[in-house]
Amino acid sequence: MLLSAIVFLPLVGAIASALLPKERASAARWIAAAVTAVDLALVVWLLIGFNVAGGMQFVENRTWVVQVGIEYHLGVDGISLSMLLLSALLSLVAVVASWKQDTKPGAYFAMLMLLEVGMNGVFLALDFILFYVFWELVLVPMYFLIGTWGGPRREYASIKFFLYTLFGSVFMLVGIIALYLQGGTFDITALAGMGFPATFQWWVFAAFFLGFAVKVPVFPLHTWLPDAHVEAPTAASVLLAGIMLKMGTYGFIRIALPILPHAARQWSGFIAALAAISIVYGAALAFAQTDLKKLVAYSSVSHMGFVMLGIASLTPEGINGAVAVMFSHGIVTGMLFLLVGMVYERTHTRVMDDVTGLSAQAPVAAGLLAFASFASLGLPGLSGFVGEFLSLLGAWKSGIPAAWVVVAAIGVLLAAAYTLRMVQRVVLGTPSKAVEGIPDLNVREIAALLPLVALTLVVGIYWDSLLRYVDPAVRATLALMGGS
Amino acid sequence: MNYVIAIPLIPALAFAILAPLSGRSRNAAVPIAVGASVITLGLSIAAFLAVWPGGHEEALYHTSITFATIGSVKLAAGILLDPISATMLVVVTLVGAAVQVYSLGYMHRDERIGWYYAVLSLFTAAMLGLVLSDNFLQLYMAWEVMGLCSYLLIGFWHEQEAPRKASIKAFLTTRVGDIGFALALAVMYKTAGSFDFAVVLHDFAWAPGAATAVALLLLFGAMGKSAQVPLHVWLPDAMAGPTPASALIHAATMVAAGVFLVARALPIFEASGVALTVTMFVGITTALVGGLLASVQHDIKKVLAYSTISQLGYMFVALGAGGIVAGFYHLVTHAFFKSLLFLGAGVIIHAAHTQDMREMGGLAKKMPVTTVTFTIGSLALAGIFPFSGFWSKDEILTVLWHGEHYVVFVLALVAAFVTAFYVARLWFRVFSGPEQTSGLKEAHVEMLVPMSVLAAVTSVIGFGSPYFAEFLGHVGEWPAAAIALTSTAVAGLGLALGWWAYGRRNQVLNTRPLKSRAGFVYAALAQKLYFDLTYDYFIVRQYGRLAGALSEFDRTVVDGIVNGAGAIWRAGADVGALIDRVVIDGAVNGVATLVRAVGARVRRIQTGRVQSYQALMLAALVVLMLWFVVKGA
Repeated sequence: MLLSAIVFLPLVGAIASALLPKERASAARWIAAAVTAVDLALVVWLLIGFNVAGGMQFVENRTWVVQVGIEYHLGVDGISLSMLLLSALLSLVAVVASWKQDTKPGAYFAMLMLLEVGMNGVFLALDFILFYVFWELVLVPMYFLIGTWGGPRREYASIKFFLYTLFGSVFMLVGIIALYLQGGTFDITALAGMGFPATFQWWVFAAFFLGFAVKVPVFPLHTWLPDAHVEAPTAASVLLAGIMLKMGTYGFIRIALPILPHAARQWSGFIAALAAISIVYGAALAFAQTDLKKLVAYSSVSHMGFVMLGIASLTPEGINGAVAVMFSHGIVTGMLFLLVGMVYERTHTRVMDDVTGLSAQAPVAAGLLAFASFASLGLPGLSGFVGEFLSLLGAWKSGIPAAWVVVAAIGVLLAAAYTLRMVQRVVLGTPSKAVEGIPDLNVREIAALLPLVALTLVVGIYWDSLLRYVDPAVRATLALMGGS
Repeated sequence: MNYVIAIPLIPALAFAILAPLSGRSRNAAVPIAVGASVITLGLSIAAFLAVWPGGHEEALYHTSITFATIGSVKLAAGILLDPISATMLVVVTLVGAAVQVYSLGYMHRDERIGWYYAVLSLFTAAMLGLVLSDNFLQLYMAWEVMGLCSYLLIGFWHEQEAPRKASIKAFLTTRVGDIGFALALAVMYKTAGSFDFAVVLHDFAWAPGAATAVALLLLFGAMGKSAQVPLHVWLPDAMAGPTPASALIHAATMVAAGVFLVARALPIFEASGVALTVTMFVGITTALVGGLLASVQHDIKKVLAYSTISQLGYMFVALGAGGIVAGFYHLVTHAFFKSLLFLGAGVIIHAAHTQDMREMGGLAKKMPVTTVTFTIGSLALAGIFPFSGFWSKDEILTVLWHGEHYVVFVLALVAAFVTAFYVARLWFRVFSGPEQTSGLKEAHVEMLVPMSVLAAVTSVIGFGSPYFAEFLGHVGEWPAAAIALTSTAVAGLGLALGWWAYGRRNQVLNTRPLKSRAGFVYAALAQKLYFDLTYDYFIVRQYGRLAGALSEFDRTVVDGIVNGAGAIWRAGADVGALIDRVVIDGAVNGVATLVRAVGARVRRIQTGRVQSYQALMLAALVVLMLWFVVKGA
């Protein structure tokens, strides 16, 4: 029942805070803080009880819709555990970061918690219908978070986000139904390793690819992302970049690889090419941005390219690297969005040229921003390096054409270029008008950031703190693919 | 011997203590950093003495800890104490401690001195982690962290534009090389299946092709870090940082890491063969280019920076000729005398209130200690007996001669000549002639003591030259008279030319006629041989343009297609609705209904009625849950 509790506890919180009377709506943040904190505690409890070598654990499997064989099937392995931890942690951080939200707080915090239900559910579901329900459920609160509490172009951005991802998931649904008709079950674990015919695999992979690639997002399906990020409130940006993008890559690892191994091998060259293009294209676009949020958004396209590259390699190094990038990108980009948001709250601008010389005025904010930036550009000793390096290693080891790996490696240089350009303007120099006189971070804000800082260091220095959970699951996945 | 582990950890701890403090308390904690550097020096000397007299193949101490597990592959961080790492320990910690003590005087008025010391400590930790490394991955990681420290120290005075620009240039230029290093690791991992020295350098039998690939990629990385042509452009700009930091990082240690890397990886280079030739070619080109460029600089620190580039090139020449002892020995002597020169330059800059040598002069009379120590450093750099540079340069020339690289041998002599010339040019401009600054006075004692220590080391270590070769497990010899005399004569000529041009009767030679006659040569040198301009125009600006163009492409084309598809869909939905209403008389037409359904959804979302959809979703979820609970019970 532990997994169910982790998934549905935030739903209780969401309903409670949605039902709060208007005059007491500000109490919603306390509900949200308590619920997300307890949820995180449950995940930590899960983590303690987790057996690294034990495969799929804490499984709950009950018949749900007998007539068509739909099951309520949850389980956790090392890969989903790392994502679940990320989801629970960032949800709590998002709540703390939006403490001062006083526009319809009841609804706002209800949406945040509803979002957590969907995210937790996606990473734990082992039944396709359940997976799909959670997958779609995530869209709704995010749509409202952007559309209601977002910036000036929120309507356009939220609709674009909603329809674009919906467009992708329709194809995924087709894929799910095709698998059901062929394999006779919605059970993800049962479908894995069934060995479907090659042509069938190719087409179903294509359908899943569309569904997942939009979410990641992979070039050229990425244009919803910058718009959504720029308009989204800080907490939504954190969760969007930190967790929702990973749903796409998680889908590749959990579903596409083990169920459609033959097609995965056929597609790997194409995916690697798109990944390499995403890496340099995202980096170049990040370099061209003047808006801080857009910069971070495009950098996400670039970083997620490394995840895709690692997945495409189909090697233990590459997939371990992919999960490591997913985890690291979650915490590091989370920090970046939080800091950009905190700076924006004070200066009311996100234009780089207007926000300069932060270190002289707000040294703590500036220091943390620099820290997150260096983690983001892949400095060894911080978490960003782990996954990017392993992805490159795996990609080189696999049969992926060397040219794509070289292009990806150049992306590491380009990442330094756009990141340092931002640091040079925002952190260094003399304070601009907008920055003069702003207060440094307060205790609440530092508290929201510190756990992320700590994780960045721990994972970056002792890789096995993450990989000891991930690696056995990666090897199990590759074993399901039949060697390689 | 477990105390060796503490050597990199102590400065790391100093950083961990200083970094999180706030400005003022961090400044107060500076003694912690200095203390850490002194303790580290003591432990390093102990470690060195434990290895002495060396000569054996086996490492004296080796331990490692796994930090990553991928299937059967374990990635480990290790400590390897052998003659090479033991020597580097002493070099790094001795120069490090000297710089830390010196900085107490040099930086004492800076309000961010605490941060300065924190970064110095982190740097020291990384450099020690690098030299003690037992594998290439750890070496690479430490290498990158040093790059960060270099970036932070170059841009230390970031309120000014020049340090900001120089720091970013340094980080990016060295990272160009790091792409090569990273890919070298990938190739190494795929071919040899490991990063460990024990496997990669000893057990594994390299095929020439793979060895060439790995060696050249490693060399490319080394060229970035050690500022070899054409990746040298960042180092002169890096002089925008505090001078003692330049002494440690951009003269003695970090920039020598590339040489260290090639020296460590030399078995792979030897398996390749071609890579050795390339290394020698890169080295000699850099030695000459650096020397020539040093000869036209007016900024005292830039003279020293180009000199460093040139001397690092000398080390690559030695390694390219297979002379690991000569190359590595030059690394050691250079570290001491070049950091000595930088520390002296710091004193000179403080006293003269300028970095422009044309505005200096006559310092010898008022600043005796600085003059003596700086002169020792200068003579060592020029290669004059008995100072350390003479011995190591001589060994390099000997290696070239015995290896029958006669062309390179002659070119190396030319480089030695140029070196002696710019040394004389610098010395006479600064120390002789009329005083141009009033109120010259000698520096504080905490600055003079480190300089004196380094000067003493520079004066005597040359005599250890043959023992050093034996320490590394090679045959030690005293220099052959013929080569020693040749190199001394060449250096003497260079010094004489420098004196003739800049030292006679306190008169500076009027170089205008020379400049006008060989105008294009001088102009090319003054423009740093157009490297910077070329990179700026063809790479930096074009990338900016490309990024802008791609951004426009993304907005108009990639996103345009998305918006266009949305618009067509909506129009289709409207048309569908029209057809449905007008043409198809209420009957259910499959296609139109589908289109309309989606279209209606689009419109509904746009008019803000998605609440109904959301309510539906929530309701569905709640119902499903209830059902589950009931069924489960």
